[in-house]
Formats: sequence, structure tokens, C-alpha cells
Amino acid sequence: MQVTESALPAAAPEMRRPGGWGDAARSNIAGLLLANIVFIIAFALLASGFTSPINVYSLSRSIGIDGVIGLAMMTVIITGGLNLALGAIGVCGAMVVGWALQNAGLPIPAALLLGLFAGGALGAINGLIVVLTRLHSFVVTLATMSVFFGVMVLLSGAAGFNALPASLLAFGRLRLFHMVSPLLLVMAVVALLLFYLYRFTAVGREMLAAGANPVAAKLTGLPVERLFVYSHALCGAVGAVAGVMVSLRNGAIVPSMAGPLGADWLLPAFLAPVLGGTALTGGEVSVLGAVLGTVFVEVITSGLYMLQIGEFWIQTALGIALLAAILLERARAGAMLSRSLRG
Amino acid sequence: MSDTFLEVRGASKAFVGVQALDGVDLAVGSGQIHALLGENGAGKSTLIKILTGVHQPDAGTVRLRGVPVAFRTPRDAISAGIGAVHQERNLITRFSIAENITLESPPSWLGLFDADAAARATRRWLNLLALEIDPATPVARLSVAQMQLVEIAKALSLESRILVLDEPTSSLTPHETARLFAVLRRLAGDGVGILFVSHKLEEVFDLCSHVTVLRDGRNACGSRPLAGMTRADVVRLMIGREEASFTAPPAPARAAAPALELRSVSTTFGHCDLSLRAYAGEVLGLYGLVGAGRSELARAVIGVAGITAGEVLIDGRPAAIRNVTQAVRRFGLGYVSEDRKGEGLILQHSVAANIAATVWHRLRRVLGFVSDAMQAATAAPFVRALDIRTPSLAQRAGNLSGGNQQKVSVAKWLVAGSRILFIDEPTVGIDIRSKADLHDLVLRLARQGTAVIVISSDMPELVALSDRIAVMKGFRIVDTFDNTRDYGQASQRIMHAIHG
Repeated sequence: MQVTESALPAAAPEMRRPGGWGDAARSNIAGLLLANIVFIIAFALLASGFTSPINVYSLSRSIGIDGVIGLAMMTVIITGGLNLALGAIGVCGAMVVGWALQNAGLPIPAALLLGLFAGGALGAINGLIVVLTRLHSFVVTLATMSVFFGVMVLLSGAAGFNALPASLLAFGRLRLFHMVSPLLLVMAVVALLLFYLYRFTAVGREMLAAGANPVAAKLTGLPVERLFVYSHALCGAVGAVAGVMVSLRNGAIVPSMAGPLGADWLLPAFLAPVLGGTALTGGEVSVLGAVLGTVFVEVITSGLYMLQIGEFWIQTALGIALLAAILLERARAGAMLSRSLRG
Repeated sequence: MSDTFLEVRGASKAFVGVQALDGVDLAVGSGQIHALLGENGAGKSTLIKILTGVHQPDAGTVRLRGVPVAFRTPRDAISAGIGAVHQERNLITRFSIAENITLESPPSWLGLFDADAAARATRRWLNLLALEIDPATPVARLSVAQMQLVEIAKALSLESRILVLDEPTSSLTPHETARLFAVLRRLAGDGVGILFVSHKLEEVFDLCSHVTVLRDGRNACGSRPLAGMTRADVVRLMIGREEASFTAPPAPARAAAPALELRSVSTTFGHCDLSLRAYAGEVLGLYGLVGAGRSELARAVIGVAGITAGEVLIDGRPAAIRNVTQAVRRFGLGYVSEDRKGEGLILQHSVAANIAATVWHRLRRVLGFVSDAMQAATAAPFVRALDIRTPSLAQRAGNLSGGNQQKVSVAKWLVAGSRILFIDEPTVGIDIRSKADLHDLVLRLARQGTAVIVISSDMPELVALSDRIAVMKGFRIVDTFDNTRDYGQASQRIMHAIHG
């Protein structure tokens, strides 16, 4: 039976997935879903207390926070870049919110908007520097990480904000169904918005195209530079959301809440999208994958804690998971390449 | 068959769902220059990949001097004496020419890379191809044509007894091609067997003594002497029917104002005092040797580089084009790159996304909404109109054949409704049937009112397509004339403009 290309019927106008939503992402989602189910069942059986309301609550909270951190990083990974300053920006954004609430006396929605805007602006600065200097975002954000964090510490005198409005703190402490943190819902909203952006909007599609092949995108008339700045700004804004979420967990906004220079966020930031099938080379995205990636990381972390395995072992395991995910992506890209070279 | 160097018998290879090769035979003799022809998808690349150890055949044998061989890796094939120049570039662009050419066996001294020895060895092969470049030059700085020559030099340097060349001339000028052919003839004289794949039948008849034609994964003819065969015979074997003869419909009456006019334009690329007019309804052919500044001119006009002096007029009105986005969205310009895979398409994205990318901003509704269905509805009519062969609109553009990829990169400008379209090397590496399709498409586009500017190094193509021809040399226009489509006349005038 001969099936050659020329014998194929002319295109049927069907559309299963648009550009940027590759097979890779889908295979990751199936794998992650399976892994999540297996680990959840295993920990539920093996680790006593894993399914206790307290643990489920704390799990949902950390999935919420780290999920948003991962989604924030995802928005720049699609440009083929990254943002090491994510943690610094997140803390800066939260500090702006704290200042607006405590010092400027703004109402909560205005303060949150201001924080979002501040995060977006810092991200846009990253984007502008990347676009104008054509340096890799690694170098640029490595530098701005220190700059943003340093300026923030100077301006704030390293003092945090611990008199946040009671209503805001109460929201952070809510227990939905006695065991689910509202921060999980915040993450769900952010994920849905990003899903909508990349799946259903012109600018989202343009961002993916620009990230996949900047030269081709530019010659197609897409405003590639502007799209890159948008992506970095979006990363900053989502980072600020994460910063506020961390503050809600802590009950206060303090400069050190994301570790030195905000570096504590980096591992979860990369783990979630990379495990979820977002290509480090840019142009391919999986919002659902990033969410499932976060669930995977948090379930493992929590489960291993419950099994009383030391923190360092857990960090090591997560680092290995990241490495394995990257290697898998590489292997898959290789397989894809050899498939497209056939024939 | 003592003088049969390389013999393939009954080679079959299937990929998921596709029988790429089905019992193919091939025999290349010592000192023979053997053409391997066939349309895209006929199985040429698969056969070549079997010969070079990239793929292993499901059935059939490969014999070298009568001894059966089985290549597990490309390295096996190289050490057995089979060298290849593939269609895809396989150079490491950050490395120097010398490092690339000696990559397989770098000369070393006490374990260190011996740059001098490498340069010496390299220069020998570069000289052979009359490529006067310092071997220490990084490949990234070379032009596409030079890269191709370096790739050929690399294959030559392996001193292979069988040399496989897949579309080696696709980006070479006639002069460089002639130079390459002289080298190939000399190698054949030394007993090297050469398997030559090209879509340019003129070259095949010029160079080759034998031909094997594949069609749909089978032999349409096996190892036949070319003597006595006509071009029409070969085409019939390739496509299984007669080649449609090509006649251009007459050009419409010229509009008063050119769609695009350049007046004494200088660019940051180095064009100086350059004037040019392109009219709606016409094809303007831009001929020149590689390095004449043709692609650069197109890129400067669409806003990739700056215009430093002179005026660009669109429909008779001055147009200040500041960037590509503005050129495309406001002034209706379009550019089909010669580097389809690198700059023309986003290979990992879908056909629909590639075609609709130019108009996402126009499709959007409230909240920037653009659904897959809207994107598909936009792309589908053009996929049909251009007869783009793809299993679905969701197929990755990278999985299409060269001809269909080229149609996708034209389609996105049709969707955008571009009124001035630059097409850079429209048919490089594209098979005969798609080539005819594309020629037809270019003319149809023009006759429907687009000003089409075709950049091509393929002179027969340019003469057949163009209503007017402008000749470029050294970043200037040296001649512009109305083309009567008489090849002899036009080619003489062009050569005179360049060399006279």
C-alpha cells in the first residue's frame, strides 16, 4: 500500500491544536497526571497524616504559591529566555503593596493593583534591557536581580510591613471546605487567564510565534521586541501576585521572604514549567502542564516530609527531577528532529 | 559487475504509515556521475539516508564493490568511503572553516588542535573550489553560497570513493556551479562515483552520464544512460505524465504610479543611490550574483535595515517605513525569505498558525479573542487555493515538503493581502511539479494586482517569470529592461550588464 505525500487529500480544514501547543506538552500532561495519581495514592497509603486536613491545607497553599511562581517564569521561558530576578521582583511587588496599605493608606484593591503594576514595570525594565542590548536574559536578570533587591532594601530600610489589614489576612487564612487554601484558587485564576492568553488571543499567539523563531516572526511583521517586553512585564506582574501570596501565608511582608535576592523561588519557578513541557527554547507552552508540574513537586515534597526524609534530600530529589525533565525534553526534541528529517 | 562501486538492491523502508521506499535498485559505477531524480516524497532523501547510514533499510542490500555492507551510523558510511553533502546545512557556524572541515579527524599535536595543519589541509580543498577565504573565518560570517561550498569541500576532504550530493547547487551562482562541476568531473576521472541529486534538469544533462528516477518510492527507471534521453523523457518518468508547458498571460496595462518606487535610495546595508520601480500586476525580476545585494535590498525596504538617503514611494506617495511591522501592516509589503526553514516559517508551529500569523491582530475580537476555528477559517481557503498538501491545518509546518512549505510562506502574505511582495529565491530546493505550481502562483498573484518582485539566481526561471528584469551588481542596479521572455536575448543582456 503506497501512501506518499502527493497521494494525500488536500487539506481538510480541521484544527486540533494551534501553533505552540505541541505533542510534547500533551505527552507530558498524561505522564504528570499519572505520576501525580500514583504518588498521591502511595503517600496516602504510606505516610500517615498525608491526607489529614492540616496537610491538605498546607499542600493546597504551597501548590497555589509555587504554581503562580512557576507560571510567572513560564511567561518568559516562552520567549526562549528566563528571569532570575523573578523572586526579587515578587518581593518588590509585595513591598509596594505593603507600603501602599500601611504608609499610603490606600484601599486594598488599589494597593494590590499598584503592586501588580510595580511588578509589571520591573519586568518591563528587564524586557527593555534584553531587547535593547540583545544580551541574553540570563545575564540581564542576574544583574537586575541584585539591583532590584538592593534598591528595595535601601528604600525600605530592610523593614517589613506587619500591620496588614485584617480582612486581607483573613482571606489568606480562609479554609474552604475546611481544608483548601484560597491561594489555590488565586493560582487557578492566574492559570486560567494565562491559558486564555496563549490559547485564545492574538497577542498570546504572537508571543509564542516571537518566542519560537524571533527572526521569522519579525519578517512576518510581528512586533517581536514589543512582544518580548510584554512577556517580561507579564512575568513581573505575575511574580508580584506570587509575592503577595507569600505575604498572605506569612501574615506579613518582609524583604527576606523569598530568601537572599529572592533566589529561593528559582527552583520551583523552573521545575513547574519544565516538568510541564514548556520548551526552554521558547515558543511552546503548557499552562496545564505547569500546574500539574507544581502539583507533582509539592506532593513529593510534602509526602517525603511526612515520611520524615530530610529537607536536603528533598531538595536534591527536586534538583534531579529538574535535570531529568530537561534531559527528557532534549531527547524528545532530538526524536522530533529525526522524525522531520525523514523521507 | 566489477566496476559497480555501489549497488543497492530491493531497498525498502517504511516509516510510521508511510512506505518511503519499496524495492528500489541503484547501481553507481566507478567514475560515473549518476543522477538521482524524483519529486519530493519520491524517496530520494530516504535512499540517500540509507546510503549514508542515517537510516537502516527494512529490506534489501547495499553492496560496496560487491561486498554487502550494513551501516549502523553515519560514521560507518564515512569510513566505508561514502561522503555526502546533505540538503540541510551541517556546519557548526561558530567554528572556523578549518575546524569544520577537519571535524571528523582534527589534526592534533600532543593532543592539542593543530590550527596551522588544519588551515593547510583546508586551503587545499578551498582552492580546488576556487573559494578564496581565510580558513580561520568563522562559518557564521559566510554567505549561504559560501557555506554550501564549504560543505562540499568538507565532503571532498574525506576523500570518499562515493560522493553523494543532495541539491549541491541550490544556492550557487552559474559561475560557482561551473566551478563545482569541473571539480566533480575531475573526481569522476579519478574513479570516484558520484550520486548527484538536483531539481535543475539542465544541470543533470550537463553533468551526468546515468540516471535513476524514483517515483512514489519505486524505480521509475534504474541506472539508465542519459545519452539519448530528452528532458521530456526524464520529466515524464518523474511525474508520470507530460510536463505542462508554461506560458505567461500578458501583463495588464501599467498603472500611472508604480506600486513601489525607490528614488536614489541608500541603505545601511550599503546600497547607494538606487532607483527602482515595481508596478501592480507585474512581476519584476531582480537578478544578480550572490552578494549583489538583492535580498538586502528587499530587507531594507521592508524595514529590517535603515534607509539612509533617498525616497521610498508607495502608490506614488512617500512612505517612511520605520520597522517591519509598519511595512507589513500599514504599507502592505511582504517578504518571502530564501531561508524558508530559518526565517520563513516557524517550523514547530502549525500550518494554520504560520499562515494566520500576519493577521492575528486583525482577527481579534473583544479581549483579543482569536479562536482556533477563526484561525483555521482564515487559513483554510488559502491552503485550498494554493493546493498545499498537508494532512491537516494542525500539522507542524516543519513536517511539510519543501514545496508545500514554500506555499505556506507565500500564503501568509496572501492572507495579509500584501500588495507589494518580495519573493526571494521562490523555488530553491523545490521539485519540478511544485516549481511549476509556484511559477503559476507568482504570475497569478501579479495578474491579480500584486506588485511581485522575484529575486532569483535561476536565470531560466527569472526570464520565464518576469515582465521586467532589473540586474544588480555590487549593491547597485546596473540595468533594467522589459523582458520579452526570450531566454537567449534576456540572458545575453543580463550577462552583458554584469560582466560587460
